Amino acid sequence: MNESDLILIIDDEIQIRRLLEISLASNGYRTIFASEGKDGVTVAATYNPSLIILDLGLPDIDGLDLLVNLREWFTKPIIVLTVRNSEDDIISALDKGANDYLTKPFRSGELLARIRTAIRLSMEKTDSQILEFGSLSIDLVSHIVRKNEEIIRLTTTEFSLLSLLARNQGRVLTHQFLLKEIWGYSYLEQTQYLRVFIAQLRKKIEDNPSKPELLITESGIGYRFGN
Amino acid sequence: MVLIKRIPSPLLTNKFNQYLIVILVIALTALLCRPLYNQQGYYIVSFILLFVVSIMAVFLGIGPILVASTISSLVWNYFFIPPHFAFHIERTEDKLMFGSFFFIALINGVLTNRIRRQEELALEREERTNAIFELTRELSNSGSVSEILDVAFKDMRKFFDVSSFCFLKEKENAVEILARKGTENENSRVDYKIAEWVFKNTIKAGRFTDFYSETDLTYYPLTGKQMNPGVMAIEFKKPLSVENEIFWAGYLTQISNALEREHLSELALKARLLGESDRLYKTLFTLFSHEFRIPIATIMGASDTLLISPATDADRTQLTMEIFKASARLNHLVENLLNMSRLESGKISAHLDWCDINDLLNNVTKVLKQELQQFDMLSTIPADMPLVRLDFGLMEQVIYNLILNSCQYAPAGSTISFEAAYRDGNLVLVIEDNGPGFPSELLDRAFDKFFRVDSSKAGGLGLGLSIVKGLTEAHKGVVKVENLEKHGARFTITIPTSIPDMKNIDLEI
Repeated sequence: MNESDLILIIDDEIQIRRLLEISLASNGYRTIFASEGKDGVTVAATYNPSLIILDLGLPDIDGLDLLVNLREWFTKPIIVLTVRNSEDDIISALDKGANDYLTKPFRSGELLARIRTAIRLSMEKTDSQILEFGSLSIDLVSHIVRKNEEIIRLTTTEFSLLSLLARNQGRVLTHQFLLKEIWGYSYLEQTQYLRVFIAQLRKKIEDNPSKPELLITESGIGYRFGN
Repeated sequence: MVLIKRIPSPLLTNKFNQYLIVILVIALTALLCRPLYNQQGYYIVSFILLFVVSIMAVFLGIGPILVASTISSLVWNYFFIPPHFAFHIERTEDKLMFGSFFFIALINGVLTNRIRRQEELALEREERTNAIFELTRELSNSGSVSEILDVAFKDMRKFFDVSSFCFLKEKENAVEILARKGTENENSRVDYKIAEWVFKNTIKAGRFTDFYSETDLTYYPLTGKQMNPGVMAIEFKKPLSVENEIFWAGYLTQISNALEREHLSELALKARLLGESDRLYKTLFTLFSHEFRIPIATIMGASDTLLISPATDADRTQLTMEIFKASARLNHLVENLLNMSRLESGKISAHLDWCDINDLLNNVTKVLKQELQQFDMLSTIPADMPLVRLDFGLMEQVIYNLILNSCQYAPAGSTISFEAAYRDGNLVLVIEDNGPGFPSELLDRAFDKFFRVDSSKAGGLGLGLSIVKGLTEAHKGVVKVENLEKHGARFTITIPTSIPDMKNIDLEI
């Protein structure tokens, strides 16, 4: 990881900005700020940061509109900050190109983990054929999944779902996205498929299926492959 | 006023028509009596004429009857008493006969007419009694201002066939104004200015009165014992007799009293609500200042210590931990308040989606990891538990609040159990702990807002369980609490839900 990554924070709360500055700086990141949406676009265009943290509740412009605006040309990760109980906002932010989200108040440790994941995913070209997660290994070419060296039999659907989540390790994938990618557009409302197959997968790959650590449920949003 | 329905046809209501009828009927009778006269003589004709005059007296006014008596005697004299076609009478007994005929016709007509009038008045009185009786009865059943007015409008329309409009006193920025109420939609006919004048002066005005008489309606002030509820405008077709004026004053008093009664009971309700909200405010104030001050004091104290005194690394970590815990507690308070206000404003609606109960419980226990460390968490979810339709995020909060509640009350080291089942179209969740349970007399209030068992060591705003109730109800479900036989509390949530048709899902693909 490049330890001198530049992070742009677009947030109007001065206390939050100060807090983020300290915790990000102490973890080796450089930071720049914009307190309004319009400045945010200018600063992003001028400094080309490695990642943007975008607060959806800005004074001058709707955060979701700003996100769309940024995504027209900005290809690096964007993490959005929202208040709680706004699943609809989160889902539409993810649909509009946000890489990840955090609800306020959040823990700094959580934010740093998300930043690291987002930057890693944006740098990494998944050219590696085999993904390893502790005792689990997934061979993307030969479709062979091993747990503790033993081959696990997965159905085609199970494998597609697992590899899609695993390739985006650490990133939340929405229900709609997963349904569309694995089953196709006509299945967008059929979340029961997703629930059943996730439960099946957990039984096969988790150490303790009732306390999953690989296939994490993001309440009301989707699933995330654990770090 | 005349009772419109007692008068059979407009033909008879016109005075001119009545006179015309009198003349025609007598002329016709005289003509028909002509052949009879030839056979039986002229005495029989007098009886027939007297009879016809009596009949007419039943239907016609006093004026036409006087005319009828006069004409009939003249006709009898002129055409029938010899010599014919002359008013002159020759024989003395005929003169006497003519005199008595005129007298009998007159008395007969007048008396019959008076009897009829008496009967009519009696009927009118009875109708009025009925009207006021029905009004009183229905008013006593009316529970709101609009119901009272509906009853009054209907009653007036039914018994007196009059349109009426009501102006009610309302307050707007401390100035009393009148607002027009009622079901009649002929707005243009009422005059707000007259109503206002009547309300201010409490004198009737409008048609048939001394003030503003150039209008269609008569405006009566509605006067009560303690306040005047407004003004009633009534469209009378004729000026009222003294007797009717008295009746209407009484009639309108009934309406005024009903409106006043309703107004006063509204005031009493407002006063009571105000008192309750005042009490609630005081309770909340104490609760808030206590619940918010403790974590704030902790944060200020700990951070101040970190700023001014050189602390060891261990102390530093300890103080930072305290700050973190205090802010988490504040966060929990704020979330509960926000959730409560969302529930109260009806902004929370359940977005139902297929949910795996295992997933739900797991998400909650992950968040409550710290708290659950001191407990034995026992969960029973059947292996074949179907997916159910719930709002995942909302149900997370329900289960979170219930388990957190148990963590706060049950003794460390005891068991908290969670059980899920699908029975008869319902998802049933049971959460039990071995805490003290609820004092039995307070069990009913467990889900009340800001309710806390007094000896509660747990703190908090007393919102957790009312949020559980609100969110369960958002799923059209019910939550109940009971004390366990030994000790502890059991919460049972029952939510009606469908389960997916699994036949279409091929797990082997």
